[in-house]
Amino acid sequence: MKKKLLALVLIFSLVFAVVGCSAPEKTDDNGQNVENVDNGTNGEDSGESKGEKFKVYLITMDQMDQHWVTVDQGAKKAADELGNVDYQWLAPDVKDDAKQIESINNAIAGGADAILLAANGPDAVTATLKEAEAEGIKIVYVDSPADYPAVQTLATDNEAAGKTAGEEMLNALKEKGVTSGKIGVVSVNTSTDSTVKREKGFRAAFEGTDFTILETQYAEGDAARSKDAAANYITEGVVGIFGGNEGSTVGIGNAIKEVGGEVIGVGFDKSDTILQLIDEGYLLATMAQNPDVMGYEGMKTAVNALEGNTIDEDYVDTGVSVLKK
Amino acid sequence: MSNYIVELENVSKGFPGVKALDNVTFKLKSGEVLALLGENGAGKSTLMKILSGVYTKDSGTIKVFGKVIDEMDPVKAQELGIAIIHQELNMCEHLTVAQNIFLGRELTSKGILSDKEMNYEAAKIIKRLNIDIQPETIVGSLSVSKQQMVEIAKALSTNAKILIMDEPTSALTSNEIDELFTIIKKLRDEGHGIVYISHRLEELESIVDRVMILRDGQYITSMDYKDTTLKEIISMMVGREITEKYPRIERNVGKKIMEVKNLNAGNHVRDINFDLYEGEIVGIAGLMGAGRTETTRALFGADPKESGDVFIDGAQIKIDKPLDSIKAGVVLVPEDRKKDGLCTKLSIKENIALPNLDFISSKLGVVNRKKENNMAEKTVKDLHIRLSDFESNAESLSGGNQQKVVVGKWLARNSRVVIFDEPTRGIDVAAKVEIYNLMNELKDKGIGVLFVSSEMQEILGISDRILVMADGRITKELKIEEATQDIILEYATKFDKRLEMKKEA
Amino acid sequence: MESNKTPQKFVKLFSKRGMGQVITVSIGLVILIIVFGFLNPNFFSNRNISNLLRQIAPIILIGVGQSYVLITGNIDLSIGSVVGMSCMVSATLMTKGLNPWLAVIVSYIASLAIGLLNGKLISKAKLPAFIATLGTMTIARGIAQIVNNNYNTDSIGSAAEGFRNFFYYGKTLGLYNTIWIAFAIWFIFNFILSRTRTGRHIYAVGSNIHAANLSGVNISSTITKAYLVSAVCSATVGLIITATSGMGTMDAGNGYELYAVASSVIGGVSTLGGQGILLGTIVGASIWGVLQNGLQFAGAPVAIRNIVIGIIVIISVLLDVVVRANKNTSKAKSKAKS
Repeated sequence: MKKKLLALVLIFSLVFAVVGCSAPEKTDDNGQNVENVDNGTNGEDSGESKGEKFKVYLITMDQMDQHWVTVDQGAKKAADELGNVDYQWLAPDVKDDAKQIESINNAIAGGADAILLAANGPDAVTATLKEAEAEGIKIVYVDSPADYPAVQTLATDNEAAGKTAGEEMLNALKEKGVTSGKIGVVSVNTSTDSTVKREKGFRAAFEGTDFTILETQYAEGDAARSKDAAANYITEGVVGIFGGNEGSTVGIGNAIKEVGGEVIGVGFDKSDTILQLIDEGYLLATMAQNPDVMGYEGMKTAVNALEGNTIDEDYVDTGVSVLKK
Repeated sequence: MSNYIVELENVSKGFPGVKALDNVTFKLKSGEVLALLGENGAGKSTLMKILSGVYTKDSGTIKVFGKVIDEMDPVKAQELGIAIIHQELNMCEHLTVAQNIFLGRELTSKGILSDKEMNYEAAKIIKRLNIDIQPETIVGSLSVSKQQMVEIAKALSTNAKILIMDEPTSALTSNEIDELFTIIKKLRDEGHGIVYISHRLEELESIVDRVMILRDGQYITSMDYKDTTLKEIISMMVGREITEKYPRIERNVGKKIMEVKNLNAGNHVRDINFDLYEGEIVGIAGLMGAGRTETTRALFGADPKESGDVFIDGAQIKIDKPLDSIKAGVVLVPEDRKKDGLCTKLSIKENIALPNLDFISSKLGVVNRKKENNMAEKTVKDLHIRLSDFESNAESLSGGNQQKVVVGKWLARNSRVVIFDEPTRGIDVAAKVEIYNLMNELKDKGIGVLFVSSEMQEILGISDRILVMADGRITKELKIEEATQDIILEYATKFDKRLEMKKEA
Repeated sequence: MESNKTPQKFVKLFSKRGMGQVITVSIGLVILIIVFGFLNPNFFSNRNISNLLRQIAPIILIGVGQSYVLITGNIDLSIGSVVGMSCMVSATLMTKGLNPWLAVIVSYIASLAIGLLNGKLISKAKLPAFIATLGTMTIARGIAQIVNNNYNTDSIGSAAEGFRNFFYYGKTLGLYNTIWIAFAIWFIFNFILSRTRTGRHIYAVGSNIHAANLSGVNISSTITKAYLVSAVCSATVGLIITATSGMGTMDAGNGYELYAVASSVIGGVSTLGGQGILLGTIVGASIWGVLQNGLQFAGAPVAIRNIVIGIIVIISVLLDVVVRANKNTSKAKSKAKS
């Protein structure tokens, strides 16, 4: 028994060490590192600000995606410029509703004045947000809103972006003289709102045309599995493939590269590999979101609201840049 | 050749709370069969585990073939020619006979297994022992007795000169015992030294040259078999004269408790009909394969049946699963206590409580710890179960005490009929008596007692009525006054020819 | 006499332990293939057959690793994370300029370290396999995340073209290298399992660890070897993924340990230990790969896909546990001749 206990303790401490190390660094407005989760506590009326600084938390879906890292960077930049923000970035290690709820609770317990939130899904966190609001915390959505009233939502209009992607593909096909054929879609899953909206927009662009969009293949954004799905589409004879996020797009690009590039690939998000594939001509374009804008403007909105001003715009479309060769 | 090939002198071994061996001396000659006798807990197993390197001694010397051995371990023991054949078979059921025989010593050529050679060598040993098995048969498909033969073949394949056999005949039919004894005698004549551990004292006569007796971890005596009697041996094992081996009590037969009609379950249970009355013990006699265990299991609902009506106190009870039987007050103490009778990884207390949770839990199902403890204490006390702590795992108990726990858990329930299947198998003499007393107590209280046994003496010693089974049927019902070993054997072999063929299958 | 030899050898091959299930599932595989081809002839195109084989290759690899561990009576839940770790370690090093082949070696070393840790935790510290590999699963995934500071990596660059061709994009004798790699590794480990002492001991430990111990088998070493094999297989798949994507992704391999169990169990390896042959694992992995590929060509919506795959896995596991449990009880009954 003793041996078992010892081993379990070892494993748990290793796990905590790893998780601790992998959490993103927190900086206060002076650029110094602070503790991961605040040890501030309780009963404080979060209507008052602590001293002169506003405590603002950014809670994203996970810590891995460069997308969130960029949001964080934007938020940090705004916080630095404003000078009156005590800023922290919290996120679970993996995208998971329960864990995100935990993060929100941690923020509330930590004495948040405002929360910038990229919600996993529309409903899971609404109860927790209600509690947050009860504490007087201002809520601003970045990237993905939840189904709960907030100060503002700054996001990519995913549906519009998806439509743009579709239009890019249509134009390119027309230029090649292709007016009909099969199109494939490789996306993440059926529960991530952003990617679902993008797919919807994409499909809308093809309404009334002679193109058939096949059953979507969901590969959880895994680049390797996405590539397999794309390769299968190519065997099926598709003329174009759409990728719903970074991983899907990387997979599509690699698949098109392997067979020589006749198929038109359009995707989402920006990364080194995707840019290279565009450069090499294997991807036509990618819809790069502007996560930095979300973070930057979102922080500004939050502080604005905390300073007592009313916010006029409910929704800010931070738009996409169409990146091509 | 009368040199001692094994000499253990002043060997002691202790475990937390128990001194298992206290300055024991053990000597084995080549070319002899030495019976190592003693009640459960006397230290026989421990002594042999030290000899075979499984345990390390606390003090004393080990000499094998005249050489002193400081650190004994299983590998060294094997090299010295010591092989132990355990009571519980240690076979890898998924592997073949040859693969099991050569396990740990596989023959290879340039790193690759030489299966052909191993099969050949295995076949040689098997032939030498005159057993009917193929080296490429998967062990899991063999009967228990055949598996035991494979164990012996395995021991021989390591060129063991010293063979330790722990309860070798407990799962064998009388024919197989004969075959085994022939092999043992052959090995003895070839100069092997064989240590024979068994509770079946009656068998000793046919096979043993010398006996050595341990009691409570101490060496008592050793002598040539021909210079002693069974009675003397028993008294030295228990430390007192056992005049009456079977404590029979006389009671008047009361009303009918149970009636079984038309019980049929496959080939082993065919058209069984019998009654059970208050104030009597009914023994079911027969040879292996007769269908006795199957009958008890079918009755209890542990196995599916094709037909069968059971009446308790005149009312018909529908038994489709054990729970039905238990609710009707009919309980079973199964043949394989480790597998079917106990949850070995649970504590003794939990085992006792297990079928009685309805008594000791609240309406919501919360177990009342005080009641649980009381129940365990009472059972331990009533049945004189020897243990240090009833929180320890059930598997830590000796066979006899385990059996008592199995029975004890039912007694807390006020059952109507208790069925025992081989209640005293693998149990020492004193514990056996306690089980008999227990059965008498039940008889005295008017609880029906039905028991299956392969020990003729036991059946004759304690039953009031005997049902003899053969080939799935009850061939004869005898009152104790008219029963003799001969009659029982006659009816137990009523379908002899078919029995022979079945045993081979 | 001579004329009897060939049919006898044939019969022997088929009555070899484990072949029964292999044959059954092979028939299932063939039926699946025919059905998918019928639903969409593109399924049978040359290109798809090539692709399909290459998609099956990594599944075979993780299947082999998991089978080794399952046969010893344990399980390896860290497989997916080691895949991810190997992918990220190799990719990160390559983006930092390290020679791809050195990066490959480092990945293998890191993965073997995890395998060793698994083996020791289970055999020396006596942790249940489920718990131990759950722990290392988290550790390996953590390493995959830290190694490039919580980002997916950049592109591994043109210096890695050779590496990418070797592990994924290149062909040899008409088949993708990936397939050859998987086959070579399968062949080696199958040989070890069926024809060496180590392999025999692996079966023995899974069949009856006490009997194996008493027979002088080194239990600790045997179990550790099984986990090392699993680590090698997972590491290789991670490298294949790096080669495929040309970058490292932190969530590579997510969930693979369960696909590995499914492939093994479908192929006849028992989760109870002691039985199953790697030939079966190939068939199991193939069924898995064919399902993933074929369901796409059949145009099955995602919900149907998940249900179909789930049902097949459940049926195989049911067969594994239920049929084998029944075999045990009926054997026990016939032994209780009384």
